[in-house]
Amino acid sequence: MKITAKQYAKSLYQAVQGKDNSQIKDAINNFFNILIQNNDMAKAEEIVVEFEKVWNIEYEIIEAEVVSAKELDKNIVKLLNDYIVKLSGAKKVLLKQKIDKNILGGVVIKYEDKILDGSLRTKMEALKINMIK
Amino acid sequence: MSNTKDFIVEQLKQRIIDFKSEIKEQTVGKVIKIGDGIAQISGLSDVMMSEMLEFTVNEGTNSNKSEKVYGVALNLEEDSVGAVILGDFFNIKEGDEVKSLKRILEVPVGNSVIGRVVNPLGRPLDGKGEIAADKFYPIEKIAPGVITRESVSEPVQTGIKAIDAMIPIGRGQRELIIGDRQIGKTAITIDAIISQKGQNMKCVYVAIGQKASKVAGIVAKLEEHGAMEYTTIVLAGASDPAPLSYVAPYSGVAIAEYFMDQGEDVLIVYDDLSKHAVAYREISLLLRRPPGREAYPGDVFYLHSRLLERSCKLNKEHGGGSITALPIIETQAGDVSAYIPTNVISITDGQIYLEPDLFYQGNRPAVNAGLSVSRVGSAAQIKAMKKVAGKMRLEAAQYRELAAFAQFGSDLDEETKSKLERGKRLVEIFKQDQYKTVPVASQVLIFFSVTSGLLDNVPVEKISEFENGLNKYAENNAQDILKDIEEKGELNEKLEEGMKKLVEDYKSTVDYLEKDISTAL
Repeated sequence: MKITAKQYAKSLYQAVQGKDNSQIKDAINNFFNILIQNNDMAKAEEIVVEFEKVWNIEYEIIEAEVVSAKELDKNIVKLLNDYIVKLSGAKKVLLKQKIDKNILGGVVIKYEDKILDGSLRTKMEALKINMIK
Repeated sequence: MSNTKDFIVEQLKQRIIDFKSEIKEQTVGKVIKIGDGIAQISGLSDVMMSEMLEFTVNEGTNSNKSEKVYGVALNLEEDSVGAVILGDFFNIKEGDEVKSLKRILEVPVGNSVIGRVVNPLGRPLDGKGEIAADKFYPIEKIAPGVITRESVSEPVQTGIKAIDAMIPIGRGQRELIIGDRQIGKTAITIDAIISQKGQNMKCVYVAIGQKASKVAGIVAKLEEHGAMEYTTIVLAGASDPAPLSYVAPYSGVAIAEYFMDQGEDVLIVYDDLSKHAVAYREISLLLRRPPGREAYPGDVFYLHSRLLERSCKLNKEHGGGSITALPIIETQAGDVSAYIPTNVISITDGQIYLEPDLFYQGNRPAVNAGLSVSRVGSAAQIKAMKKVAGKMRLEAAQYRELAAFAQFGSDLDEETKSKLERGKRLVEIFKQDQYKTVPVASQVLIFFSVTSGLLDNVPVEKISEFENGLNKYAENNAQDILKDIEEKGELNEKLEEGMKKLVEDYKSTVDYLEKDISTAL
């Protein structure tokens, strides 16, 4: 049967869990031997991506992105970070910042597959539709 | 002047202040694959089956103008969602954002859609401006249950003699119209719609995968006969993507359901369901669902059964509305035993089978009396019609067999001869031009004349001329008889006497009668 990258990543996670660095090295060596045996080296990169996802799920870490029109103040970033932690119920949030002039103002928060659109552009559009009505 | 300007500015300011937009958490996904009107989407963890999705499409790379395209989630898999796109998918790119809208596809319903041509999403296609509807109905709905229904009891007057006499249709019935291409399937339904004028019916015509030119022609014809006043046309054209064709009949029935819920009677035409099945097959194959017989997916039966089940007759406690469905199936070279035709035949309450041979012989509408049936409609015929037309279907079917048999020999006994003569006149009476619908009363009159033998001395080739003349004569001289039939719906001896006298009177004014009946036979 074909083994998917996701399955590899999950088993790798189980193999390295609760082990110290030298043990992890051995586990990884073993893992690569299996990959070579199964002729699945092509999947290596995909496995890395999946492994990160598995790791994040297990440790309740989520990646989030904040889009704003201007560079954000550190305090605001801290506030946003706490807000996302509260929203998502995760233990840790890896926050990325992105600047997009097109949204005009406000912020857009993205995490997992959720989006909170508090941008000025969206508000303006909603206002436009409301005014036309 | 400046006062009004200030006033307007003030109003605008007030509106802007009053306007509060709420920031809602939305679930989004990303397009990972797009092609042939099908998108694979990652994310969207809590999307529902057949939920509406919104694709945000950026026009061009630099402009921040964006456009919205809608789709429907059809496949929910472990880590992706398969969706069909309703509309233009050429601008959607890999990586585009998709939002789930937390509701299933809806169409605007109500009186504002009457007289309009709309696409399956309820957008106007006739250039008469936006549709101002305050109500929306979901396109997918479970059909009304047993408790809310009652049996079919009122007739739909199609105005087509062959159908009203032999294969009557009742309000709430589903009657399939089946036949090869180009033999008048659409013509029957258009006539039926035209004939609903003044019958207290709303009509919905759903064109699935039809040529735009054909639909334009139909709209023009309906307008000409004043039928657009109570008709809505739902159009998924031949150039529209398959998902729109797939959605079209469900939108149509949602529009119809609104009127049914208001206690009204609706006639809905699906033209045609074979193209609908083909569109669904295309979607299913692209979504990689396993193909079955004739490459249709396994649930193609449910596709049509759940649609046609939604036509029904509600009982008085539930408003008493009804939806009568006339689905059309196009067969290939008369093959009724193909997959889709057999499916739909088994779902519907009867079928009108149109035959190419009859059509080319000039018997139009080309209804085959032997193979066409109506499983519930006869309960809905008015009594007068039942009395005069009761045995006509049998007689017409027998005549065809007898005529084929009689070709071999000329030595026939009197009884067979008279049957043949009667049959010839029947066939002649069932011939009817397109867009010339006949009211019930006139139908009863002409059927009464033929079944009571009053037409036996009218030459066969003069029958239609006689019929036209008789109708005019009756309108001018015996309005009360026609009115009586229409209002009472029943025949008594006095009425029969009156009709007999009327026909005899008219006969005395024409000069082409055969003198001696026995020479005619």
